[in-house]
Amino acid sequence: MQASRARLFKEYKEVQREKVADPDIQLVCDDSNIFKWTALIKGPSETPFEGGVFQLAFSVPEQYPLQPPQVRFLTKIFHPNVHFKTGEICLDILKNAWSPAWTLQSVCRAIIALMAHPEPDSPLNCDSGNLLRAGDVRGYQSMARMYTRLAAMPKKG
Amino acid sequence: MSKRVLCKFFAHGACLKGEHCEFSHDWKAPPNNICTFYQKGLCAYGSRCRYDHVKVARLQSSSPSSSADISFPVECLSGIAGYGPGIASGVTAEHSASSGPLCHPIRPAWGEKTGRHDLLDDDDNDGYFSTVDPADRPICSFAAAGDCPRGENCPHIHGDPCPTCGKQCLHPFRPQEREEHMRTCERRKKQLEALRHSQDIECSVCLERVLSKPTTAERKFGILSECDHPFCISCIRNWRGSSPTSGLDVNSALRACPICRKLSYFVIPSVIWYFSKEEKQDIVDSYKEKLRSIDCKHFDFGNGSCPFGTSCFYKSVIIFTSVLNLCYSKFSLGHGGGVVEKFDLKIMFSGQLLTFNSCKIRKPRAVGLDNVDWGFKNHAYRDGRLEEVVIRHLGAEDGNTVIAKDIRLSDFLSNLQIR
Repeated sequence: MQASRARLFKEYKEVQREKVADPDIQLVCDDSNIFKWTALIKGPSETPFEGGVFQLAFSVPEQYPLQPPQVRFLTKIFHPNVHFKTGEICLDILKNAWSPAWTLQSVCRAIIALMAHPEPDSPLNCDSGNLLRAGDVRGYQSMARMYTRLAAMPKKG
Repeated sequence: MSKRVLCKFFAHGACLKGEHCEFSHDWKAPPNNICTFYQKGLCAYGSRCRYDHVKVARLQSSSPSSSADISFPVECLSGIAGYGPGIASGVTAEHSASSGPLCHPIRPAWGEKTGRHDLLDDDDNDGYFSTVDPADRPICSFAAAGDCPRGENCPHIHGDPCPTCGKQCLHPFRPQEREEHMRTCERRKKQLEALRHSQDIECSVCLERVLSKPTTAERKFGILSECDHPFCISCIRNWRGSSPTSGLDVNSALRACPICRKLSYFVIPSVIWYFSKEEKQDIVDSYKEKLRSIDCKHFDFGNGSCPFGTSCFYKSVIIFTSVLNLCYSKFSLGHGGGVVEKFDLKIMFSGQLLTFNSCKIRKPRAVGLDNVDWGFKNHAYRDGRLEEVVIRHLGAEDGNTVIAKDIRLSDFLSNLQIR
């Protein structure tokens, strides 16, 4: 408990210091609970998520960093490895390939990379996975872009 | 003892006995600066000793006047003594009454010299030391510590400056001491440097500086055998020890380096970080060396079995219960290679039959089998009992000798080449 708190505090300071360094990620700690974080990440360019801002919720276990944080999308996203309803993410480093050297910041980066490179073979969103597995890249991209416009972009005027 | 001799606690500014001290609290009294260890033959500090390394016996022969001089020859050496007449009479007279001959009849020469507050003059000094081998003369401890207030006039030899620490502490006439000092100095400097560099190294798990952790137990690095990423010992052990039930794979995640994912089978604790392959090897070797002296708790002297098998780092001593069968043949190697002893060895051990065919001793020795040195003769039991180990060959009368002995398995195997 003490160790995880100390480590999160270190990460908090690091985030404050590097705020400007990575404009794609904005990590914010809950005011009252250091085990709850939220992040705003920008959709990577040249993907259907470009231009969208996605919100992630982190729930950090007490055994952190020996155990991975639980992360889910709060913003709706159409992606084969993200559950369409719950926002749960299927990513190996958040499950069995976790390493204590990862930080919340690097997890965000991994998620951005996942958005750019979906893994349709282990889908949480079957519709999306099936589109890609059937080779319908155009269909996948237009669906994803539509949901990005609907959910991840500020409404125009 | 004597009020004539300066109290060394007083000299350091902290004598608890105050007025009741049996040593003198007068700065003018001569200090007793003889190293008692040196008198007994060995002083571990060598040339760095703060006391004088003079041989009393030799000094005595050069100043045979009184028994008092045996105990305090330094007063002739470090001539600062120069008693003012008043003090000399005051102190010594008072004391001669109580401690008798020990202090009073100082050399008559003192009488002539009293009143001289300056340093011993040179010719006196030379005359004195001419009887002493230069290698027996101590080097000036003040100079060795950094600065000698007496400078040129110092009656002691000033050592040559050490290239590492820069202090004048190398005895010009004791090559062994010089070398030893330079070696230890070098080693200490290296260690300090490594420690300084180690200060800044951060653990990637807790993101803190390893050597700045709150408790000393935590201020240790955990070195992974296969890669060079630094962690605290507690962090990396916690990570490797975390239960696989949490869904993490033991080999691909837990035992791998959290950064590079290279698989390491063991972690070496160390108080300093290394900066070269050799340094790392040194740390690993000394760690293994230490473990090798500890009995393996899994093996339990042959009663249990260690899951790590032959790669276990701990000491595994087995107790052989019986040698069933031992065949022996001897043949000579060409070109003076000596005689090779070959054995077929069957050993009953913990209910298991171990067979070693054509074992040979790696260092061929032309010895009778009865004296074969297996490298495990006279191993002590846990209770300290010694057991002679002799292996006899099959044809002997007591070929089936029940031999109960302790053998370190690794010793045993390293002495045998099993084919």
